[in-house]
Amino acid sequence: MAAEGFLEVENLEAIITRIEQKSRKIESLLKQSKPVEALKTALEGSPLKTRDERCKSANWIVVHRAIMAIKDVDGMLASLDPEYYDILMKYLYRGLATGDRPTCDQCLRIHEKLTERAGLGCILRSLADTVNTV
Amino acid sequence: MHNLQANTLRLYLTCIRNTLEAAMCLQNFPCQEVERHNKPEVELKTSPELLLNPVLICRNEAEKCLIETSINSIRISMKVKQADELENILAKKFLRFLSMRAEAFQVLRRKPVQGYDISFLITNYHCEDMHKHKLIDFIVQFMEDIDKEISELKLSVNTRGRLVATEFLKQFI
Repeated sequence: MAAEGFLEVENLEAIITRIEQKSRKIESLLKQSKPVEALKTALEGSPLKTRDERCKSANWIVVHRAIMAIKDVDGMLASLDPEYYDILMKYLYRGLATGDRPTCDQCLRIHEKLTERAGLGCILRSLADTVNTV
Repeated sequence: MHNLQANTLRLYLTCIRNTLEAAMCLQNFPCQEVERHNKPEVELKTSPELLLNPVLICRNEAEKCLIETSINSIRISMKVKQADELENILAKKFLRFLSMRAEAFQVLRRKPVQGYDISFLITNYHCEDMHKHKLIDFIVQFMEDIDKEISELKLSVNTRGRLVATEFLKQFI
């Protein structure tokens, strides 16, 4: 049990390093005006299984940066792979919980369009999934 | 500016409507702990496997809506916009008036959840007796109307105050 705990700590450090690398990649993608790629990079490899708050917050900051950079929501959803819909929905709900006006505006805008595309099942999966959380 | 506000309101209500449509899948579930009891699990929160993730939808710093679902019940709590002291008092009195008469509304909760202005509790029995889409229409319509009601109340309080003051001060002219 102690060994597993030790492994978990190792993994956490690895996760945080990965998130920092992601953050740098996203900044460069945004400078090249590629917001959709930036969002894909941010959503990929999200630490969903871990329970550590630091990792989740670090990833949220990165995803938040990518979400706020989106200007064309329809275009973004058209080019985003469906496998990312569920993770994006979970992060949208996290954004809506913040209460920060610009974040909520952006998340509400994307939520409407994402629900049209992905359906109510996507919302229900984000409510029902207690294993993979953001 | 007005257009922008109307648009965010529309998006906010759409988000709540979609979330409710997905979350309101309720079925009868007799209590696991006590024989022959049937309780709304969202209120008790004793068994985590019966609860879904609660969802908080904020429109801005002042307005938010908390939706908590369980296997047989859903609890929706709202915080309404209160721009100044007067709206604060009016909202509190008006919503307390409604909450006291919760029996008539059936789906209203007598006391709002801590931190919110008003709460609804919808159980599987309500979903069996009433149409699900109508229940959701009611909640969303309620949210839309509450803002209008409080604005109207504020307007009538100010008008009446002005009339009373004018009449009273006439004697000093």
